[in-house]
Amino acid sequence: MGGRAVPLPVLALQRGAILFALLVFLAPVGWLVTTAWKPAREIFSFPPTLSFTPTWDNFATVFRFFDVAQLSANSLIISGVGTLLSLALGIPCGYALARSGWRGAVGVAYFFLALRMVPPVATLIPFYLFMRDIGLLGTWWAVILLDTTLNTAFVVWMMFAWFRALPPEMEEAALVDGASQTGAFLRIAVPMVKPGTVACALLCFMLSWNSFLFPAFLTTADTKTLSVALLTAYGTKDITWGTMGALAHFSTLPIVLLALVLNRHFVQGLTRGFH
Amino acid sequence: MTSVGLATPAGRRRTGAPFAAGTFGQRRRLFLLALGLPSLLYVIAVALVPLAQGMWLSLFEYNLLRPDRRAFVGLDNYLEQISDPVVQQALWNTLVFTVLAVGIEFLLGLGLALLLWRDSLFNRVALALMLVPVAVTPLVVGLVFRALLTADFGMIGHFAAQWGLSGERGFFGYPNSAMGALIFIDVWQWTPLMALILLAGLKALPQEAIEAADVAGASPWQKLRLVIVPMLLPAIFLALVLRTMDAFRIFDSVFVTTKGGPDNATNVLMFHAVKEGLEFFNIGDASALSNLMLAAIGLIAAGFVLVIRRADRRMLG
Repeated sequence: MGGRAVPLPVLALQRGAILFALLVFLAPVGWLVTTAWKPAREIFSFPPTLSFTPTWDNFATVFRFFDVAQLSANSLIISGVGTLLSLALGIPCGYALARSGWRGAVGVAYFFLALRMVPPVATLIPFYLFMRDIGLLGTWWAVILLDTTLNTAFVVWMMFAWFRALPPEMEEAALVDGASQTGAFLRIAVPMVKPGTVACALLCFMLSWNSFLFPAFLTTADTKTLSVALLTAYGTKDITWGTMGALAHFSTLPIVLLALVLNRHFVQGLTRGFH
Repeated sequence: MTSVGLATPAGRRRTGAPFAAGTFGQRRRLFLLALGLPSLLYVIAVALVPLAQGMWLSLFEYNLLRPDRRAFVGLDNYLEQISDPVVQQALWNTLVFTVLAVGIEFLLGLGLALLLWRDSLFNRVALALMLVPVAVTPLVVGLVFRALLTADFGMIGHFAAQWGLSGERGFFGYPNSAMGALIFIDVWQWTPLMALILLAGLKALPQEAIEAADVAGASPWQKLRLVIVPMLLPAIFLALVLRTMDAFRIFDSVFVTTKGGPDNATNVLMFHAVKEGLEFFNIGDASALSNLMLAAIGLIAAGFVLVIRRADRRMLG
């Protein structure tokens, strides 16, 4: 722990424990990925075949049964637009609460966090009826609007903590120098909280992209997302674990890679949120 | 009066004294209001209004498949849900799942966070890789473990059944082991997030306090119990609240593995409510059930706040 030098045997033990944990965390994902490239009869062979002849069969089946491009577009539009909307709503609100100097601000921030905790069924049924009545049921917007409430609530709460930790002197100096309030907010405050913004964006995008319950009930065949298609992939007769693994290449690997690429911002974003 | 005239602009801004129209303080407040209001209005429109509608709907006997036979029944739906043994079991299942899953995730997560605390290239890479389970679609996680745990051909399940670790119908075939398997899946996916939040908290700790404990000759266990954990409470609180709320609403992995079986042993509240509302379209019953869940979540959150307040007081006094 701390900053002292660790004796070699202890270090070896620590690293061994970490490596073991990594093995447990990564092996199932490795299984999923290799499954897609294996011929059907080798997927469950014992002992697991490490050397197998990779095959395109599973991907061919996936492309025959699913419009992968359309599914990916649906997932991307729903998650992307939803994330942008949540940030556009949530960041200014977090800033306003942090800078208001109002005693009740913490209470409002907790109100937003509480909204994030509401069980989805509680709102899903009335929301479903509402969307049906105004004709948005089955469109991208139905999912985007619902995801955005949960995500906005989270962004407000997180960014409130970030802006509160940011000393206001820089903005005040800019205002004295004649910057507009919008300028002080957008050009001084927002760039300073970039790690928090990236962490928020990643968490929002992940939640929307991986969400299954909302799109399953709010979309139609044309607008359904990859996660909904995955279940169909598993449910149909001609579809095997191999095809599911192949489809997961499109539904799961992009988001995993995104998380890996952004991991430093992510950890940093959480860290600063605690002060 | 003269003192007001002499006050600096900054001083005026802080005191919030009455201003003439168009002064900086007033424009500032208007600006902040304009930034804050859209979010508030949005969540009221898209979350609170449907929530209130749900409260209203819960007072009716209302099935979407027979919308003409809608009748006001008052609190009957609530009484019916509370006295239904299936709902009572679902509540019990949800509590067992939440307490065990979050408890195990916390202990393992804290251990991992302590192991990864020291900054080194090895630890940075390990930390990045540990994000993988968190990012995988929960639905896919459920399906993968369903394949791995199946008794006849699953890579884990086959051997477990052969060596007598699970019954011959596999982990999902018996009430207790099915619940155990669901807890295992949740622990696999969310322990890294727990570790990450706790690690973020650890990295924000003041280095001096820990060094002081070292100088005072504290054993590692004492250091952890008396110095690190008390200072880490805000992060622990956040990690436990976030995970408890999500575990309480578990749905995806139940949906693709056990569907609540065998014998309702894994029928959790969220799954039951979704089945009532979106499969059988019993809108009144499902709304009552989700409002009961909301109340339970509120109680749990209040409990957390009480505990953290008491811990805060003990630390200060």
